[in-house]
Amino acid sequence: MSSPAPRRPAERAIGACFALSFLAAVGLIILYAAGGQTQVEGTLLAVALGGIGAGLAVWAKRLMDHLPDETQPRHQPAPTDAELDSAADTMETGLEEIRRRRFLFRMLVAAGAALGFAALFPIRSLGRAPGDSLESTRWTPGARLVTAQGDLVTDATLETDSFITVFPEGSAGSADSQAVLIRVAPGLLRLSPTGMAGAPEGLVAYSKICTHAGCPLGLYLAEEHQLRCPCHQSTFDVLDGAKPVYGPAPKPLPQLPIVVGVDGVLEATGDFDRPVGPSFWDES
Amino acid sequence: MLRRAVQELDERLDGTSFLRQSLRKAFPTDWSFLLGEVTLYAFVLLILTGIFLTFFYVASSAPTTYRGPYAPLQGQSVSQAYDSVLRISFEVRSGLVMRQMHHWAALVFMWSMVAHLVRVFFTGAFRKPREITWAIGVALLVGGIAAGFTGYSLPDDLLSGTGLRIIYSAVLSIPFAGTWLAFLFFGGEFPASELIPRLFILHVLLIPLLLLTLLGAHLTLVWHQTHTQHRGPGKTEDTVTGTPVWPRFALKSAAVALFTWAVVALLGGLFQINPIWLYGGFVPYEAPSPAQPDFYAGWLEGILRLWPNWELHLFGHTVGNLFFPAVVLPGIVFTILALWPSLEARVAGDHGVHNFAQRPREAPLRSALGAAGITWFVVLMLAGSNDVLAKYLQVEVDRLNTWLKLFVFVLPPVAGFVTFRICRDLRRKGTRPIRAPSRVTFARTAAGGFEERADPPSASDERAERAADAGPGAP
Amino acid sequence: MSARTEARVLSRILRVGLLLAIAGQIAWSFRPAPSRADTDQLRQGQRLFEASCSTCHGLNAQGTQNGPTLQGVGPAAVDFMLSTGRMPLSNPGVEPARQRVTFTREQMDAIIAYVASIASGGPAIPDVRPNEGDLPTGAALFLANCAACHGAGASGDSVGGGQIAPPLNPADATQIGEAIRVGPGVMPPFSEHTLSGSDVNAIARYLLWLRDHGDEGGLQLGRVGAVAEGLVAAVVGLGLMLLAIRLTGSKT
Repeated sequence: MSSPAPRRPAERAIGACFALSFLAAVGLIILYAAGGQTQVEGTLLAVALGGIGAGLAVWAKRLMDHLPDETQPRHQPAPTDAELDSAADTMETGLEEIRRRRFLFRMLVAAGAALGFAALFPIRSLGRAPGDSLESTRWTPGARLVTAQGDLVTDATLETDSFITVFPEGSAGSADSQAVLIRVAPGLLRLSPTGMAGAPEGLVAYSKICTHAGCPLGLYLAEEHQLRCPCHQSTFDVLDGAKPVYGPAPKPLPQLPIVVGVDGVLEATGDFDRPVGPSFWDES
Repeated sequence: MLRRAVQELDERLDGTSFLRQSLRKAFPTDWSFLLGEVTLYAFVLLILTGIFLTFFYVASSAPTTYRGPYAPLQGQSVSQAYDSVLRISFEVRSGLVMRQMHHWAALVFMWSMVAHLVRVFFTGAFRKPREITWAIGVALLVGGIAAGFTGYSLPDDLLSGTGLRIIYSAVLSIPFAGTWLAFLFFGGEFPASELIPRLFILHVLLIPLLLLTLLGAHLTLVWHQTHTQHRGPGKTEDTVTGTPVWPRFALKSAAVALFTWAVVALLGGLFQINPIWLYGGFVPYEAPSPAQPDFYAGWLEGILRLWPNWELHLFGHTVGNLFFPAVVLPGIVFTILALWPSLEARVAGDHGVHNFAQRPREAPLRSALGAAGITWFVVLMLAGSNDVLAKYLQVEVDRLNTWLKLFVFVLPPVAGFVTFRICRDLRRKGTRPIRAPSRVTFARTAAGGFEERADPPSASDERAERAADAGPGAP
Repeated sequence: MSARTEARVLSRILRVGLLLAIAGQIAWSFRPAPSRADTDQLRQGQRLFEASCSTCHGLNAQGTQNGPTLQGVGPAAVDFMLSTGRMPLSNPGVEPARQRVTFTREQMDAIIAYVASIASGGPAIPDVRPNEGDLPTGAALFLANCAACHGAGASGDSVGGGQIAPPLNPADATQIGEAIRVGPGVMPPFSEHTLSGSDVNAIARYLLWLRDHGDEGGLQLGRVGAVAEGLVAAVVGLGLMLLAIRLTGSKT
């Protein structure tokens, strides 16, 4: 084969690409030894990789265009009818050989199925039984309200339109017991009689877990008295028993009944009035 | 030297004829066929950068006190997982660029996979005999989403913790078994300490193993069945015309690999991604905003945001709101996608073997449905970003939602209808650019000179075209 | 920079003086005849108030159907609204948002003093000292109390009800403190009981720190997270790759 015609400009360009890549790689080594810098590392690496890539691309496109494309057959010749029949027959007779002993075949199926079933059981070790753990939280009658840092919350902690995340004393940070305590101007709340009984002085507490997908409800729109979920924008009316007023949440936030206890410290009179968080099958 | 090596190999493995064939195997090099290669090389880079990260990552949600150089977090109690990702970002030399490249590579991997899927869809390259390759491709898409989501969750930061909480709630909503499934998979009521180690093993072993297996099968099938190709002079159904693997195609493919890695390196160096130090460590009672998953889950996020606040009560049981949008609907979407080749074959009554890629206009109905599908995904992705969108557009997010709820029903049919009309008009006009224009080529004559000749389209080309015209989607 | 610090020191001095004046309000009736400087300031404040504020808030700050009463809102709220350019509004229909500031510092102080003289109560302008704040405490408190609306990167976000929690970059330390105490618009206020003075110092320190830190990874992409990242991956990542394969591959 005769050597291809010289293509000076292309060769020069490819050489420059490789040289650039070489320099970038050397720079990368020096940079690493000097302690590294994210932006320069990324750029040099891009140049080092891209240089070789560009060189190879030009090489393949400009210096190899004398290599012809080829046209090749796609398939092996299709099997003849006889070949197909023979393949099917082989499978059929093998299967028949096993199935013929009907009793043994059934026993085999039964044993295989039992083994497969038994093999599923270790999955049970992956987690404990749910039981009724989703139905209750750590709030108990008399549990005092504390902040995430564990400080006691009193009726003086919040001014009107303020809110705070509260937990039962001893369980600060508990995921399922998290609640928002909000103070609204007295007289604005429109709760059921039992709800009102658990909301003294305009202080009302709801579960902080969205009933849609379980995100913590971090947004309180004080002017509108609405709690809003940052994940999917479900919005709850704090004044009206935290009923959902917008977005995909299907049910109200459970209310935590509270009273003002000794020295103004707030305490719960029981657990939430419903299971917290999103719905589940066995929810009662 | 080489000959000797080949012979030694052949004496053991008998592979010479396969080797010879493989080196000469012709690959059509139409540029759009290289999208799959970009995906492949992004995956290779994911493995390489991922291996580096595993040496430093600690898969534990046990608490520790942060004592690294990032001032705002010093002295705070964080999980060991979060602590280790901060160490990768701020203390391991080249750690941040590796971590960011890993994350960007994941996004480029998913984008190029989607682009590859779109190319294969609109050119009908999934048709018989390539239905299995397509179905494996859809499985790779699902696997890619799973790999991405588990990886996104590993830093145990506030944002990813919120994402896990949503998945937990979605599992919880499944009828009958939801509570059990959630407790088994998550190791108990959310958040359980078992979760991070489980996500880690899923992310670095099980899912990559699955992806590698599927990828191997996908590529073997592509190799064995050969590529589709566009129609053109001298091309037939039974042959494939392309660049032989060695050396020209190999060089091109290597160039694509290096370009892919270069682009990811550039992104990893210059564009900050997932700055977990700003989000803080996971705390179950806090949530940041804006709270979005990575883009490939953006359409799922959009469904959740737009779905009405329905809940089903059955015989004293509850089917949670998330069950339909987060479990059933994605299931339907991926099932339809995976079965698309057989669905289309059945509807069109076309069970023939096709090796020619189509132009979108050749199957107006398919193209219309494809355009409608893409529009649907785009609207949902916008819905998943609605708070950020509203901020930049200076509009009310709830009003934007109202529009998006309308768009998700109206725009896909409109896009489909318009696409259908365009395809049909292009075909009717008689300007049939389906057939490549005869082109003038030069051939070397035996005498050593050059001869000019025009390639007329061959008879088999025209037959193939007619068959394609009568094919799926023809009105 | 130094000019700004100077202005801040100056305004702080002015504000301390103002606080003293407000403290004096309590003992209003025991006060001897006001000094000349004070009356000048009050007169200037009254003039400005009547020209720019009274249309909506009423001549006695009692409120009208176009604007709320200023009784009980306090100097912190007035200073916040004026110093961020949210007030005066060009027309009563629009949502207040950060604008170019209309008044000079002196004029604002005059208005604040005048409003305090006709409307009592409300939080005083807090004395925020970011330099005394603890950075990690500030970060933790910011993430716990502010990030849900303003975003973890303090870049702002839509919060529904037509409201946008604004980006916090432009806010100075005093304005941060005022917003925390007052709760402008839909924002809930935080009292001394929920966020102490040193907590506010810490939050302000973190927010000022965040302006030019925290972007070790490169371009911050608006600090809006995955939406921007997905877009960049598509436009830059996939875009460059489409270009690359277009040039590498052939065209048929």
